Amino acid sequence: MPEDLSPAGAGARLPALRVRALAEAFSATDLIRLRIEGPGSDAVELRRSTRVPAATTGAAMAEPESGSPLKTAAVKADLVGILHLGRPAPAEGQEVDAGRELAYVEALGIRNPVRASGSGRIRTVACRDGQAVEYGQVLFEIDRS
Amino acid sequence: MFKKVLIANRGEIALRINRACRELGVHTVAIYSEADRTSLHVRHADQAFCVGPGPVARSYLNIPNIISTALITGCDAIHPGYGFLSESARFAQICNDHGITFIGPKPSVIAAMGDKATAKRVMSEAGVATTPGTDILASVREAARAAESIGYPVLLKATAGGGGRGMRVVNAPEELERAYASATAEAEASFKDGRVYMEKLILRPRHIEVQVLADNYGAIVHLGERDCSVQKPSHQKLIEEAPAANLPPKTRDALHAMAVRACAHVGYTNAGTLEFLVSGEQIYFMEMNTRIQVEHPVTEMVYNIDLVKEQIRVAADEPLGYLQGDLRSTGHAIECRINAEDARNNFAPAAGTLEHVVFPGGPGIRVDTHVYSGVAVPPFYDSMIAKVVAFAETRDAAITRMERALRETVVKGTPTTIGQCLEVLATKRFRSGDYDIDFLPSLLHAAPVA
Repeated sequence: MPEDLSPAGAGARLPALRVRALAEAFSATDLIRLRIEGPGSDAVELRRSTRVPAATTGAAMAEPESGSPLKTAAVKADLVGILHLGRPAPAEGQEVDAGRELAYVEALGIRNPVRASGSGRIRTVACRDGQAVEYGQVLFEIDRS
Repeated sequence: MFKKVLIANRGEIALRINRACRELGVHTVAIYSEADRTSLHVRHADQAFCVGPGPVARSYLNIPNIISTALITGCDAIHPGYGFLSESARFAQICNDHGITFIGPKPSVIAAMGDKATAKRVMSEAGVATTPGTDILASVREAARAAESIGYPVLLKATAGGGGRGMRVVNAPEELERAYASATAEAEASFKDGRVYMEKLILRPRHIEVQVLADNYGAIVHLGERDCSVQKPSHQKLIEEAPAANLPPKTRDALHAMAVRACAHVGYTNAGTLEFLVSGEQIYFMEMNTRIQVEHPVTEMVYNIDLVKEQIRVAADEPLGYLQGDLRSTGHAIECRINAEDARNNFAPAAGTLEHVVFPGGPGIRVDTHVYSGVAVPPFYDSMIAKVVAFAETRDAAITRMERALRETVVKGTPTTIGQCLEVLATKRFRSGDYDIDFLPSLLHAAPVA
């Protein structure tokens, strides 16, 4: 993970309008990530969230276990933080589409989406709202369709 | 005192810090990589969080995940141990920015001492003798000019360096270009900072370092010296002892005084070590390590003090509560580093599973280790698996005790440095106390380990 996520909220002192303008300019480029540091500790970091594989946005889809009858994939946390379930909260048995935001991990004041990398049915919800999660922790298991 | 400390390290030093916290009544949070899931430091802490996969850049150097762990677990301090982030001024600053106390000196002092060229300049201001040398070199041409004026042989050193990486001996002008290229490349690869500087190569020096401790109220004490001259050809230490043998009292006093003066000059706080090269009566400041060191136990044994607890107390704003005159060194301590390394193959690190491990015990023996029978030694980290420390009333008795302890030690599964340590202890040179940093390389050269 990039080291330059921190200090958390360093960009908070930048006017919202300026950040919005930056975000628009950023989305017009092919850049994945853009970080601008000010003279003090001011910094703003923009990261592309759409059409990016889940592995780079807060969750990783593990390979299904060999020999299992259904193709079950684990959605894991790839950073340390507090997990917040999506609204409405994902439920076991629920069908989800690829890219659906199931939850997000809040780390250093930043929301890192946890997405389903493929469509399927949620077999297990292995986490609860407000829980501290570690790197590699299994959050959901999805039977791929 | 702190309520909860995050231990931003692994291995024996993570356990060492955990023990100090336990005895101070402080809760602990361990961090670990996926490769260290079964490591002892994970088991001993109150809480443990995986912060990334095996490679250090994504786990033990992963600042966002480490800070996030500290915040969500409610830690009020972080102990960085040695290596990893322990000498990162940026990390110390980030801790402070998040309201977490970094257990170590101020970020500005870490930055000044961490840049070796800056450190040398600051030390000369404090009246500490430094090795004749240069500031950071801009080019190989500048290096050639500097070498001519200093006089060969010279040493190229990475300004961000440590552990012998980014360091090259240059004996003659024709070797310079190649040495400069490889030193900068190695420094860039190891520290992401390829800048190097040059020093006169002091022939056959002893590596003697002074332990210091300073609180936030201006009290500074030294805790004597350690002789770390038994070094591998890579300049990594293998055997350390306290006090240094056969050191003239005048030289010893000068070393101690310089160390305290230097600390006062830079406003140093917490534990630190000043490393010197000693050649005859000449003393040259080499570098300052702004953290706890691997070999700190030998000092703890002879001063009967817990340096890690002192680090935590000082960081928690407690005064030292004693003066130099209250401190007395007694007896002699020797440390042998047990590394999973092949001494016959240039000390190449050897990862693998430690099938069977038995550590020594008995009077005067201390073992700091994180391994046990059946544990795997991952390939990602330092190869040290244990430190065996022998303490006795005299140096001779400490050597005998160490030999006894190493013969009790069993490590099956990887080659180790035990045999090499025993060989060193048996030599007349080591027993006489008259050895320098060329001693082990020449011993290896003369008689490769059978």
